[in-house]
Amino acid sequence: MKKNILLSLLFLPLACFGELFLEITKGSDDPFKVAIIPFAGAAKISNPLHEVIRNDLNRTGEFSLLDTKLLLPLRLEDGDINYQDWSLLGMDYLVAGTILNGQSSVDVNYDIYDIQKRKKIRSSKVFGLPSQIRQLAHYTSDGIYESISGIKGIASTKLLYVNQIKSAKLNSNYRLMLADSDGANEKTLLSSSEPIISPAWSPDGQKVAYVSFETGLAKVYIQDIASGKRESVLSNDTQISSPSWSPDGKYLSLTLYQDGNAEIYILRLHDKTLTRMTNQFAIDTESSWSPKGNKILFTSGRSGSPQIYELNLRKLNSKAKRISFEGTYNAKAAYLPNEEGIIFVHRSSDGLFHIAMKYKKENFIRILTEAKMDESPSVAPNGNMVIYGITEGDQSMLAGFSLSGASFKLPASQGEVREPAWSNFLR
Amino acid sequence: MNKSTNTFFSLTMLILLSACSSVQVTEESVSNQAVAGVSISQKSSATQAVLANAVVYFEYDQYTLTSKSIQALKGVVGLMKKNPKITLSLEGHADERGTREYNLALGQRRAESVANYLIANGIKRNQLVSKSYGEERPLSLGSNDSAWSKNRRVEIK
Repeated sequence: MKKNILLSLLFLPLACFGELFLEITKGSDDPFKVAIIPFAGAAKISNPLHEVIRNDLNRTGEFSLLDTKLLLPLRLEDGDINYQDWSLLGMDYLVAGTILNGQSSVDVNYDIYDIQKRKKIRSSKVFGLPSQIRQLAHYTSDGIYESISGIKGIASTKLLYVNQIKSAKLNSNYRLMLADSDGANEKTLLSSSEPIISPAWSPDGQKVAYVSFETGLAKVYIQDIASGKRESVLSNDTQISSPSWSPDGKYLSLTLYQDGNAEIYILRLHDKTLTRMTNQFAIDTESSWSPKGNKILFTSGRSGSPQIYELNLRKLNSKAKRISFEGTYNAKAAYLPNEEGIIFVHRSSDGLFHIAMKYKKENFIRILTEAKMDESPSVAPNGNMVIYGITEGDQSMLAGFSLSGASFKLPASQGEVREPAWSNFLR
Repeated sequence: MNKSTNTFFSLTMLILLSACSSVQVTEESVSNQAVAGVSISQKSSATQAVLANAVVYFEYDQYTLTSKSIQALKGVVGLMKKNPKITLSLEGHADERGTREYNLALGQRRAESVANYLIANGIKRNQLVSKSYGEERPLSLGSNDSAWSKNRRVEIK
């Protein structure tokens, strides 16, 4: 299994459907070959569970799943696992399980077998409410992904994004949405007649921060997902935007327009202490914390065009260091989870906007997408998938790709969808 | 097996079996996070009677005033001097190209450019409120030069 096959990454525009549309344009050259026997149990649970697990694993681009029609019996007549025939089918791993459904709970038990080594490598149980079949499937596919790839799975993580419904009267309705990592199970966190932008997760996945124009002035709010309780982070009459949560959850970096100009500040949440981080005539905004919490990235116009800068927070009076040099527009950068590089929005010489990545150890950027107005990249917490906003015709929607080359789209059930934000691990 | 179905926490147990080959054994409940939706219906701040109503336009990526803009602003200066008690809202906007937050900042710079011109011509800072909507409120929908040029603007009202 080869990892980090970024060079082979290929993104192709795909047709649009009413729900998550998955097409593997190019997966890994050497995928894990896995057979999943539909879990024994009631078909009304087993069928949707099987489908969600397959979609989750296919979306990673790292798996080649055996066609369900080609499945063999799990065991030989004497009760032993039929390793030999599974091996002849070219399988590396085998997954089988059972579903126990009671009135108020569903148990999913599954086992993973290593065909070559002829042994069971995992035996797991996940349980939940009968209404949580998709969640049970996501937890199961994460377990399969982890045992086989050695990397934590992200099927059970969540997405935030902004949905805008343009009515005939041109009276827009803006909604902040929460959904599963595959776009299902969509829920509205906030709806407003005024714009909502820049959603950001708290590291524990319990809260969101965002910018709302509900008072006529951009302001940052924090909202508790479970209770809906929300507050404006600063009660002054300054325009505030671009929230980013520190990895320990104690601080928000923000853009304040105190003197009319965009400057970056760090707000300590428990006592609302503000610390100014930039002091520049030019625009400074779009701050984003490093995974270790010791640095921030931000966009600054100080060189005459938007470029990406890095500021060390641990050194007193440290100077921001410019880290993007290719082209005249590089913005909205975020660190990769392992801090080996950054992902950002790059304007190419033809004037189009693409998602690009730059690794620390390389002195060139990799352009990862090829639509014309790609924006707002967000990386999954395991670093293996990216979701971002695209515009097709005059319709904006979400698209994503795995670093091994699978790409997918997430069109809106209605209206425009944009500004996706991937949660941290939630399990 | 005795368990609560109302488990809101995730439990993971890892038991390494002492046989020659180890099997990872886990048990966990899926989280059941409640979600409360909030709806805001209030409209943005009430508008005062419109005394001035002008729009000035900007070049792509730019926030400096053009000579045409300055002509329009001269009229605003005259009006402000005749009505020294009114406050003006300067609302900056950007076209859809580029990132949303950078465009919010760019719209603000455009509003500030207008504010600075008015202040240089004798208007008091406290008569002016500048703010930005970035690319969120285009005047003209569509992704072409004509729509974009209408959207890079400061609305004075």
